[in-house]
Formats: sequence, structure tokens, C-alpha cells
Amino acid sequence: MIKKMKERHSIWIRIFHWTNMIAIIMLILTGFYIHAPQSFKLFSSMDTARTIHFAMAYVLTFGVIGRVYYAIVAKDAKNIVYRPIEDTKKLPSMLKYYLFLADDHPYYGKYNPGQKGMYTAWLVMAILMIITGFILYKPHLFLGLSGLLGGFLVVRIIHYAINWLFVITIMVHVYLDIAEGIPILKSMFTGKIPEDFHHGYHEES
Amino acid sequence: MSTKLSRREFLKMCAGSAAAISLAGYLAPFMKEAVAAGAPPVIWIQGASCTGCSVSLLNTVHPDIKEVLTKVISLTYHPNISAAAGDLAIKEAIYKVAETNPKNFFLVVEGAVPMGADGLYCTVGEEGHEPLVFKKLLTDIGSKAKAILNFGTCSAYGGVPATDPNPTDCKPVSAVVKNVPLVNVPGCPPHPDWMVGTIAHVLLYGDIPELDAFGRPKMFFEKIVHDNCQRRQYFDNAIFAKTFGEMGCMLELGCKGPFAHCDAMNRMWNQGNNWCVGCGGVCIGCTEPQFPGWPMYERLPEMPVGPATAVTADQIGIVLGAATALGIAGHLAGNVLTGRIGPKKADKSKEGEA
Repeated sequence: MIKKMKERHSIWIRIFHWTNMIAIIMLILTGFYIHAPQSFKLFSSMDTARTIHFAMAYVLTFGVIGRVYYAIVAKDAKNIVYRPIEDTKKLPSMLKYYLFLADDHPYYGKYNPGQKGMYTAWLVMAILMIITGFILYKPHLFLGLSGLLGGFLVVRIIHYAINWLFVITIMVHVYLDIAEGIPILKSMFTGKIPEDFHHGYHEES
Repeated sequence: MSTKLSRREFLKMCAGSAAAISLAGYLAPFMKEAVAAGAPPVIWIQGASCTGCSVSLLNTVHPDIKEVLTKVISLTYHPNISAAAGDLAIKEAIYKVAETNPKNFFLVVEGAVPMGADGLYCTVGEEGHEPLVFKKLLTDIGSKAKAILNFGTCSAYGGVPATDPNPTDCKPVSAVVKNVPLVNVPGCPPHPDWMVGTIAHVLLYGDIPELDAFGRPKMFFEKIVHDNCQRRQYFDNAIFAKTFGEMGCMLELGCKGPFAHCDAMNRMWNQGNNWCVGCGGVCIGCTEPQFPGWPMYERLPEMPVGPATAVTADQIGIVLGAATALGIAGHLAGNVLTGRIGPKKADKSKEGEA
């Protein structure tokens, strides 16, 4: 039996998702090597690691610009941007579901408030990473900016701390994605999801 | 004022690799001419400092420091080497020169400005049996200067005296004197060439050199130590020193080279003999505004998280990462137990359909 499918992710969303994913994973791996080359021996030399790191930094920068542009033009922003009042109101029912206090959760739209919060935070984190990263990459070009943030050492700490936030949130993202169902994972490759896939119950109106 | 040295040539001289020649020696004849033609006087005063910047300046051996001070720089007063003392120094050499040359003399400040206890932590003289504090001296004559040259990190950014806990409440000159152009020549101490070169620029051309965002002359502070380091190849090849004295890049030992700005690696100290990394030490970033508020021999500082508790970024990351892994494992167990994933799921969805 062939299941009826409907589109969940457009081709552009999938392209940006996977380019940004590759960029972020490579940035994290090379970043850990650059941070601790003695204990994180994944690359042959600093040259290799740094070349990949800076190249991927550009991929991510333009990936973020492209994704934001797409979100605005395709009116996709309403799906992913966390709205402080409306989405916070929806949080309790979602938390109850994830903490096994409820068997099901209401239908939230394309993404639940937790996902929206995480994706919005990722945008903020990515922008902070790009800014602090370029300050460290070209110290003499962004001298004034580094002063505003409290000096290069503070910039370094911000850059490193947000990296850990990325590591943790990506772990959560991948886990929840798989735990909620393989079709969701598949949809990021094919763009399609079964029409009858359960996204929470619709509240009686 | 006529000068034979064009500004372009001057900048080239100052910014170029000066290891082989003495900047002061090269500039001396031009400076002598300018001073003879009536260049503005220079007054040098010291606040909360260790006199290290002055000692560094005295290290200019060619030409002889006597010649530099009396003929090359029209220095009217310097607290360590001027013969004048007491009222003669304060009234004649400092106040009178400042008053007779309003907006036409350059003030060199060495050391931070202690603001605590109304400035009493730094008394530089006597004024009618009352102590003359450095804060008052600086505000009195600083506002009359054409420009203030901050020699050393202390006067430029606060430096050692202004570092936490800062009991004397030391402040950089920029926090005390407003509306006067400032040139920061940081360093702990600054290289003699940076000081002589900056004084030469203001005396020869009558204005301040081009500055970067932290107020430092670009001709000396545009380079990044790390990009011009003699041990750079070690970094690129990932050969890192684990202890001092070992070959390799000293990043893991706390080198601040990747974000420190100066040209010491080309110019070198002690008449071009050696420099910080050349003698096996790390760059401690002494020309940066945050110096010395960081651990000199550690890569990343510990962060205070509570009373008498400090952790590294790595420790925070590992704890948070472990907590996340535990959370995920717990949730996974919950998912399996409640049948959200696993064999029971199929039955459940059938139930839903039925």
C-alpha cells in the first residue's frame, strides 16, 4: 500500500538544512581541534583544521543569510520564530507530553513551541558565533567590536561557550527527531510526510 | 616648520622592519632641525607607574639618550632625569611652560591616575605646604595640552594599577581628561621606538598619527603577533609545546599572540636583539586594553560561578553535556516504557484508527 504523502519541507528548506548541518558539524569538530589540538586529535594539522573551519564559517554565514531570506520571502518565518506570549502559553501542554504526564499533545502547527524556541535560539546563536568568529579570524579588522564585547579573551569565551550550546542542542534535536518517528527524519530528505502522520490532536472547537 | 622628511617616508620608516636600524638614530637629524626651528615643548609626568616606560625610553642608545632628550625631543621636564626639583620643577618646568604655551605643548603621561581618597595615593609635589596630587596636576595642565601621549598601558587603559581589586581606584587618563586628543602607546613597557616615533610624529608634523579603535598609532600597532611569529610554522603544523623550553607553538601555554597587536616580533627589543617569544616566553598581550586582567600562562581563564568557586569553560561544557546525555537516556527509557516507540507503537496506532 502506498501511503498518501503531503509536502512538509520545500526543496530550499532541505538544501539549507543540510548545508548548514554539514557546516555546523564541521565547525564544531574543527573548533574542538583548534581549541585543544593536544587532546582532540582529529585532524592532521592546524592548517587543515583552520582551513576547513574558515571555509565552513563562510558556508554557514551565507547559509544563515539564505535561510533568513527564504523564511521572509516564503513566509516560513511564522512557522519557526518563537512568539513570546502565544508560544509560551502552549509550552505547558508540550512539557506534559514530553514528561509523560500526558499521552498526547494538541496540534501546534508545523512545529511545537519547543522546536520554535530552539530554532529561534539557533538563529541568535549562529549570528553570535559568526560575529565572534570573524572578530577572532580578523582581529585587526574588528578591533572596535571586540572592545565593545569586552576584549578578545571574552570574545573567545563567548565563542567557545556557544559552541557547547550547539553541541547540546544538536544532541537534543537529533534524539527527539528520531524518538518522535522515522517519517519526520525521512521528511528532511524527501520533503514529504504521510498525510495521516499524527501531529497531535486537534482541539474540539 | 620645514621638514625634509615627508609624511609618507616617515610612516614607512616607522612601520617598516626596524630591526637593522635605529629609528631614533635615523630620525635624530630631522628632529634636531624641528626642535631648533621651535617645535612645541614636551612635558613628561608620572602617576601610578613603575617607571618602566621611562627606563625603556632610556634604552635608546643610538644616538646617546642625552642627545635624544635634550636635542631630539624638546623635553622640558622628566621626573627621573631632570635636574630641576621641588618648586623649580613644579612651578617653572611644569606649570609655567604649560601656561606660556597654551594648546602648544605635548604632555606625556606615564602611569594610571589614582582617584581614590581624592588622589592622595599619588602625591607628586607640594603646593603651599599642601600635597599636590597627580590627579590635580593632570587636570590642571592636561586640558591645556595640544595632545596627550599616553606612554604605557597604565596611562592608556589602566594597566596593572587599575586591575582588580584596584584599591587606589586607578583610572586611565582618558577617564580624567576630556576634550584633548589622546594617543595611546601601550606596552609593558612600550618599545623605545614606539615612544620616540610617536613624539617625532607630533613634533615634526604638529598633529597626532593615524590611530586604531583603541587609540594606538597604526604605524606600530597594526600587526598581529601570531601572524608574524617566528614559531608560526609550529602552529600551522600543530606542534605544540607542553612545557616552557620545548619547541613548538606556545598557544597551550597561554600565549596571547593571536589577538595581541604590536610589531615587537619585527622590531625586537634591546636594539633588535631579541623579543618575548624569541627568548622562550609567551606573548602576554601587554598592548591590549584588558592587560593584565587575564591569566598569563593559561589559554582560557576560569570563570567565577559562586563564592570561592571557579570553573573552566570545559568543565561547564562537560557537565552540561553529561546532563543532556542523561536527560536523553532517561527520556528514551520513558518512551520505551510508555510504548511511544518500540513494538507497542504499531498496536497503539491501530487502536487509534479503530
